[in-house]
Amino acid sequence: MTSVTELAASGRTPIPGFVAEHLHVTPDQIGRYVLLPGDPGRCEPIARHFDDARHIATHREYVTWTGSLLGEPVSVVSTGIGCPSAAIAVEELSRLGADTFIRVGTSGGMQPFCGVGDLAIVSAAIRDEGTTSHYLPMEFPAVADIDVVDALREAARRTGARAHVGVSQSKDSFYGEIDPDSSPVAPQLHARWSAWVKGGAICSEMEAAAIFTVAAIRRRRAGGVMLMAGNLEMPQEELEAAMKTLTLDGLIGTAVEALRVMIERDHAAAAG
Amino acid sequence: MAVPAVEELQHHVQLKPGDVGRYVFLPGDPGRCEKIASYFEGPRQVAQNREYNTYTGTLLGEPVSVTSTGIGGPSSAIAMEELTKIGADTFIRVGTSGAMQEWIEPGDLGIVWGAIRDEGTSLHYLPVEFPAVANLDVTLALREGARRTGARAHVGIGQSKDSFYGQHEPGRMPVAQRLHDRWAAWMAGGAICSEMEAATLYIVAASLGVRAGGIMLIAGHPDQRPMTPEESARMDLDVLLRTAIEGLKVLIEADRAAGGTPGRGSANGRANGQA
Repeated sequence: MTSVTELAASGRTPIPGFVAEHLHVTPDQIGRYVLLPGDPGRCEPIARHFDDARHIATHREYVTWTGSLLGEPVSVVSTGIGCPSAAIAVEELSRLGADTFIRVGTSGGMQPFCGVGDLAIVSAAIRDEGTTSHYLPMEFPAVADIDVVDALREAARRTGARAHVGVSQSKDSFYGEIDPDSSPVAPQLHARWSAWVKGGAICSEMEAAAIFTVAAIRRRRAGGVMLMAGNLEMPQEELEAAMKTLTLDGLIGTAVEALRVMIERDHAAAAG
Repeated sequence: MAVPAVEELQHHVQLKPGDVGRYVFLPGDPGRCEKIASYFEGPRQVAQNREYNTYTGTLLGEPVSVTSTGIGGPSSAIAMEELTKIGADTFIRVGTSGAMQEWIEPGDLGIVWGAIRDEGTSLHYLPVEFPAVANLDVTLALREGARRTGARAHVGIGQSKDSFYGQHEPGRMPVAQRLHDRWAAWMAGGAICSEMEAATLYIVAASLGVRAGGIMLIAGHPDQRPMTPEESARMDLDVLLRTAIEGLKVLIEADRAAGGTPGRGSANGRANGQA
């Protein structure tokens, strides 16, 4: 077993003898930089943007591909839906020596200015989930690494994607968000949703809070970029028209570009 | 910037529209305002009431102000609410704090990107799950400010607590064990410094749709052992203030380059608005 301080200090050195029992991958099969989609089916299309991408493993909801960008090994690993499985992925990848994580996925827009197809660059996440309470008291903020956030914004500038920087809601119940009245605690779900909107939250998704919190404790860097597919604050007809033109190209292109920005900046910092 | 509708003096800060700039420094200590204002062009005191002491001047030709908040979330929330009503939309907390990591040296600066909501005021605004996070542009400007002044600065998480003596002398509190356990958890989470206002300011800013950030001079050690004379000698308020001023200049330049003045409530005027 490794202590909190040992893990925090391990950096890019794999924990000796560690077996990734859920991911089924080994340290030499994983890059330092990892994209984290929720959907296992999205790993291959993302990996096509890498040089020399190869499939590494598929176990449970965890699909892993590895390739390279700018000569640096990079990976994409699906987390499955929700913070419990996402936390396992970040824990195992951290022990394998990965230190930079970018969540990439879809979300619901929460502000009138969040157009369908816009990107959300997640600066911090609402801990509206159960997993992170196993790590830190609720008062602790789930914030992204500022260099990853800055790299994502630079990547959006390069790809020309329309992007907003802001807070996401990381929830545990998909249907509690899209059909709150179906829940016995509907009044509470409505009141809290309204508070998140008034607090300026820009998108609703299901994994960022755990990825940011576990990464912070392990002293890894994490951020996230989300496609805003749908917007509960938008009129239904407008929404349906916008959804017809929705593609993942801008999202994936921006996430991959952000890895390039991180790699360029890390190389420049290492060169002094 | 929209012209605020409110013309009467704000109740606690005793200020009206036109008395302050869009950009406001927020120290805790009323006695520090004059010193901060001495870095402005043409500073003048515009009001003093209770713990709220306000000076206004200019930087790069832009009206800027400093208003003290007093200690703690309750009085800080009042300051931000009233300053926002009279037209301010960008806030930088400046002050002192305690170190929460052994690798931090006394005299280093902490740029507070996120804050632990270990306080009561922000719960009157948003449920505790909501992250107290600074505005990205304000935070990056402060980091660039530190590059320009050469100050040793760390971007990270601050603990915003309601009890000064609960941090400094936890052992004598009836809830000592809880204070010790939570302090250890904050350190394990990577918190860099302990102060008393950032979380409230960031949550109130999120609720009002304004921008906030913070930069702290860091003193002491995580285990509360006293500083050596050499360490005490490294504590230099001038480094903090020069860096905060330089950071605000960076922000003013960036705002001008971006073509002006994001209005409050618009997409890119939100606390964490459009990229």
